[in-house]
Amino acid sequence: MENKLKAIHSDTIKKIGEVSSPGELEEIRIRVLGRKGELTQILRGLGELSPEQRGAVGKLSNEIKREIETLLETRKEELQESGISELLQKDWIDVTLSSPAKTEDVYRGRLHPLSQIQYEIEDIFTSMGFLVLDGPEAETDYYNFEALNIPKHHPARDMQDTFWTEDGNLLRTHTSAIQIRGMDHLKPPFRVIGPGRVFRYESTDASHENTFYQVEGMMVDRNISVSNLIYFMKVLLSKIFGREVTIRLRPGYFPFVEPGFELDIHCLICDGKGCSVCKQSGWVELLPCGLVHPNVLRYGGIDPDQWSGFAFGLGLNRLIMMRYGINDIRHFQSGDIRFVQQF
Amino acid sequence: MWLSLNIISKMVDIKGLDPADIMNRLTMSTAEIEGIEYMNKHLATVIAVKILDVKKHPDADKLTLVDCDTGSETIRVVCGAPNHKKGDIVPLAMVGTQFNEEFIVKKAKIRGEESSGMLCSARELGFSDDHSGIMILPESTPLGTPMSELYSDWYDILLEIDNKSITHRPDLWCHAGFAREIAALYEKTFTHPVNMSLADSFTQKEELNVIIENPEASPRYCGLYIKNIRIEESPDWLKAAVTAIGMRPINNIVDITNYVMAELGEPMHAFDRKKLKGKAIIVRMAKEGEHLTTLDDQEHTLTAEDIVIADGETAIALAGVMGGGDSEIDDSTTEIVLEAANFNPVSIRKTAGRYNLRTEAAIRFEKSLDPEICSHAIVRCYELVKMLIPEAEAVTKIVDTYPKKPETVYVETHTDFIRKKIGQELPDERIVSILEALQFTVKNSSGALHITVPSYRATKDVSIPDDIVEEVGRIHGYDNIPPMAPLVPCSPPDVNTKRLYERRIKNVLAGDCGMIEVSNYSFVGEDLLNRTGTNEDKELRLRNPLSVEQDRLRRSLIPNLLSNITLNQRYHESFRIFEMGRVYFKKDRNDPELAAENFRVAGIVYEKNPAAPLFYEAKRTALVLLDQLRIKGVTMEPATTDLPAYAHPGRCVLIKTGKTVMGMICELHPKTAKNFDIKGSAALFDIDMDICFSAKTADSSFRELPKFPDVPFEVSVLAESRSYGGDICRVIEKSSKEYIRSVNVIGIYEGDPIPAGMKSVSVKTVFAAKDRTLAPEDIDTLQKGVLEALSKNGYKLR
Repeated sequence: MENKLKAIHSDTIKKIGEVSSPGELEEIRIRVLGRKGELTQILRGLGELSPEQRGAVGKLSNEIKREIETLLETRKEELQESGISELLQKDWIDVTLSSPAKTEDVYRGRLHPLSQIQYEIEDIFTSMGFLVLDGPEAETDYYNFEALNIPKHHPARDMQDTFWTEDGNLLRTHTSAIQIRGMDHLKPPFRVIGPGRVFRYESTDASHENTFYQVEGMMVDRNISVSNLIYFMKVLLSKIFGREVTIRLRPGYFPFVEPGFELDIHCLICDGKGCSVCKQSGWVELLPCGLVHPNVLRYGGIDPDQWSGFAFGLGLNRLIMMRYGINDIRHFQSGDIRFVQQF
Repeated sequence: MWLSLNIISKMVDIKGLDPADIMNRLTMSTAEIEGIEYMNKHLATVIAVKILDVKKHPDADKLTLVDCDTGSETIRVVCGAPNHKKGDIVPLAMVGTQFNEEFIVKKAKIRGEESSGMLCSARELGFSDDHSGIMILPESTPLGTPMSELYSDWYDILLEIDNKSITHRPDLWCHAGFAREIAALYEKTFTHPVNMSLADSFTQKEELNVIIENPEASPRYCGLYIKNIRIEESPDWLKAAVTAIGMRPINNIVDITNYVMAELGEPMHAFDRKKLKGKAIIVRMAKEGEHLTTLDDQEHTLTAEDIVIADGETAIALAGVMGGGDSEIDDSTTEIVLEAANFNPVSIRKTAGRYNLRTEAAIRFEKSLDPEICSHAIVRCYELVKMLIPEAEAVTKIVDTYPKKPETVYVETHTDFIRKKIGQELPDERIVSILEALQFTVKNSSGALHITVPSYRATKDVSIPDDIVEEVGRIHGYDNIPPMAPLVPCSPPDVNTKRLYERRIKNVLAGDCGMIEVSNYSFVGEDLLNRTGTNEDKELRLRNPLSVEQDRLRRSLIPNLLSNITLNQRYHESFRIFEMGRVYFKKDRNDPELAAENFRVAGIVYEKNPAAPLFYEAKRTALVLLDQLRIKGVTMEPATTDLPAYAHPGRCVLIKTGKTVMGMICELHPKTAKNFDIKGSAALFDIDMDICFSAKTADSSFRELPKFPDVPFEVSVLAESRSYGGDICRVIEKSSKEYIRSVNVIGIYEGDPIPAGMKSVSVKTVFAAKDRTLAPEDIDTLQKGVLEALSKNGYKLR
C-alpha cells in the first residue's frame, strides 16, 4: 500500500511538471484527487485496514494529498503567468500613439473665447435673476439711436462711427439697442442682459476692430440707485476676474443714461501701482454705465416717475484681452485656429 | 482741448495746488484729463545771474570764461557768445536743466576749462528767434530769480482734456468753465473775467445794423464797430497764451479773438470794416449755389441749408464755421467789426460736415452754446483791444440783435429724490451747498428744491431732476458712495430658449465632435463671392464700406469659412472648424423695415491626405448634432443638381425635415478648392439653426425593452455601381413594417467575380415581434417577403 502511494506521488509530481495548460492540470487533479481519484479511493479504503496500518497509511496519504494540492496550485499560478506574457507578446500595441500610426489624431474641440466669456457672463447674471435677450444685428436708427435719446444730428453720434446699409438702416453700434427691444415687450420690474456682435465704422489695427462683442445689462425696478449699480458691477467683475477688484466711477457722458459713468478698474497687471499697460495711471477704463435716462424709459413705455433703472455695456473682446494679456484685437475675427486653441 | 493753468489762475486761485491733484479731481468729477504737459519746463532752472568777470579762454579764440554771481554762489561757465560783458544780468541754465529729450545741461570740460552751466539766448529759452547773443535781462532783476517767474507767461502747465468727455457740456469748451469747476471742487471763489460796465462808455457815432433773417438759424448776433486799429504782433503774454492752447500767434486782433474764445468759449470773428459793402450785416440762409471762399482759400458752393453772414452784397462768412477771405483783416486794416453770435447747433454741425471744416468754432457751436456769452465776449475783446491799442475806439454801442432769448430753466426736485437716486444719505445742506458752488441758485423749503440753472448750463445740459442728481453725485464724489444690493423680490428669471439652443449646438460641436469654433466677419466682398461661385449680387450692401473686400453682408457662412481653410492649412494637416452666426437677406423681410436675419451653423472638415472621402465625416458630425438636438424625422437626400457651385455634385446630400430643407452636407467642389488654393480635401455642412429650433423634436418616452429574440437575416444583392444602398434598405423596410426592427448595409464589394458596373451590397435585416417569439413559419414568410421585394425592385441575389 505504501508503495502504491509512493508511486502515485512520484508519478503525479512528474506529470504536474509536464503539463502546459490549466486544463491538463485540472485533468490531473480529477484523476488523483477527484471523487473517484486514485488517492481518494485509497483514503476511502482506510477502514478496511488494520488499526496500525490505518494510522501510518492515513498519515502518509494526507501528506501526499497536501503536497499535490500545493503543487497543483503553484503550477496553476505559473501557467497563468506565462499566459500573461504570451498576451503581452502577441497583442502588444504602441500605446503612446493615438491611432495605429499617428500620435496626433484627437480633435480637441474649443469654443471661441468670445463664446466662453459670453456664457460665463450669462451664467453669472442668470444666477442673479437676469433674463438673456437678443436683437437684430442690422438695426434701425430708432433702436440704435433715436430711442436711446440720441436724436439725428446729435454730436454724440460722432462717438460711434456707424456702418449704414443700402436700405437706410445700420449695423448696430452697441448692444444698447437690445435694451429698447427688451422694453418693448417686458413689463417692469425686470433684469436683462443682451450679449451680441456690434459694429463700428473704423479701420482695424491692433486695438481697433470693426466687429466686436458687447454685453448690455439693464435692471429696472422701483428704487434703483447708483449704489445698486456699483454693487452689481463689483459682483460681476469679481466673479469674472476671480478676485476682488477695485473699481471707481467717474462722470462719463452717454445720452441714454443720467447720471452716466465710466467705470475704471485697478489695472490687473500692476494692481494699481502704474505700469505701461495703464499708462502709469493705475486704472483701466472698462465699461460705461449709468442710471437709465428717463427719456429712454419713456421710449420703452415705462413711467420714469414710478420706475428707475441702471444700465451698463461691457466690451467682451477687451475683457478677454485683459484676462489673457492678448495684444491684438484682430485675433478674434482672424479665423486662425492657433488662436482659438489656446483657450 | 488744452487747458492752460496760467489762464485758469486768472479766474480762480490755484496757487499751491498740485497740478496732478487738479487733474485727478477733474477726472473724477468733471471730465477726463488725458495728461499733463509742461510748456517750457526748463525755465524753472534757468536763473538770473550777474556777470562778475569775463576772461579769454586760454585755448580757444571764440570762447570766454565767465564768472557768474547767482546771488548765493559764483559759477564759472564757458561761453561762445559775442555780446555779454561784465556787469550784465543774464539767464544761466543750471546744471540739470533739460531743454528737450536730448539736451540736458551737464557739467563739462570745454577745451580743458570747466563749465558748470550755460548762458542762454532768447531763442534757447524759447522766447523768440533771436540767437545773436546772450539775452540781456533788465539791470534791476534780482539775482537767482528763475525765468519761470520772470517770464511766467511763457511758463505754463497744460492739461489735455478728452474732448469726447465734454460733448454734453458746452460750458466746458473754455477756461472759464473749468475754472468754475475747479472753484467748486476746491471750495474757492470764481472770478469772472469780464467787466460788463465797460460797455457803458460806448457811444453810437457810426451806423451798423444787424439783421437776422431767420431767428431759428441764429438766435443772437452781437457786433461792435471799432476804429483806430493797428495790426501788429501780439505782446509776449498773448503770444504765450495762444501758443499754450495749441494755436499759432498771427497778429494782435486774431490772437485776441482766439484768446477770448479759449477764455469764454465764444467763437469770435473780426471783419475788416472797410472791406464790407453797406452798413448792415445780414444773417441769412445761403442761396443754393452761392459761392464763398473761406479763409483757408477754399472755394465752396453753398446750399440753402448753410447759414451765412452777408454784407449788403455777398456772403462774407460761413456762419459759425469760418470767415470769408474777402473780408479778412490784414496788415493795413484800421477798422474792424467784431462778431460774437449764436447759431443753430444742428445747422452748424451739418455745414461743418458738408465742407469738412471741423473748425474750433464749429465744434463749439454744434454743442449748443449759451447765447448770453455773446455780449460778454464782445466786451472782453474790446477790453483787450484797448489794452493793446490804447487809441482804438468803439464807434457804436454793442449792436445786439437777440430775437430768441432762451427762457430761464428751472428744475423742481426734492432732496429725497436725489438721495434715493444716489443711494446714500446726504444732508440737505450738503446738497444745496454743492449746487450753489456750481452757480445754481437754490431755494430750499424743507427739502423741496427750486433750482435756477445758470444760462451756460441750460442749453441741453441741465433740465431735469436727474441732471441735478448727477451734479450732486459727481461733486460729492462717486467714490464716496458705498455699494448696496437692491432690495427686490427674488425669482428665477425666464429662460431664453433660443440662446440656450445656440449654446447646446456649440457645445455638441466643440465638445462631442471635437470642432474648433471660429468667428468670421459679417462682411464679404465680390472677389470672395466669385471664388466661392455664389456671386449673384443679392447681398445687402453697405453704403459706407471700409473696403471692397467688406462691402456687403454675408448671405452664407461658407465663403469666409473657405478662406479659413486657406489660412489654417498652412499650419495644420487636418482640422475641424465651425462657425455659428447670422446671415442677412435684403429680401424676405420679417420686419417691414429690416433685412431678414438667419442663424446658421456651418462646419468644415479638412484633411491634407484623407483616408476615406471626408463627406462621411462631415455627415457623421451633422448626424451627431441633429441627433443631440432630438429633431424628429430628419432625412438626408442625395442631391446632384441645383447645388451651390462649391458643392461636389457626386458627394452631396440635403438635410430635410419633412419637405423643408434645413441644410446641406457636401464635399468641396475641386474647382472651388482650387480657387481657394486648398491643397487637401474638405467637406462641409451648413445648417439653418432657425429651422432646427422650430422643428418638431422627438419626445423621450419609455418603451418596454424587447422580450423576444431578434432574428437576423443577411442577404447580398447585386446592384448598379451608382445606386444608393439607402434605397435597398428602404425596399426591405417596406416589405414588413410590423416585424422589421432594422435594416442596414453591412458591406459593399466590387470586383471579381462581380460584373463590371455592378457591386455586391450585403444587407442585414433584423426581424422581431413585440408579443412573441417568431415561429419558423413566420421567419420563413418574412424572409420571402424581403427577397420578393428585392427582386420586384430589380435587385438580383448573389
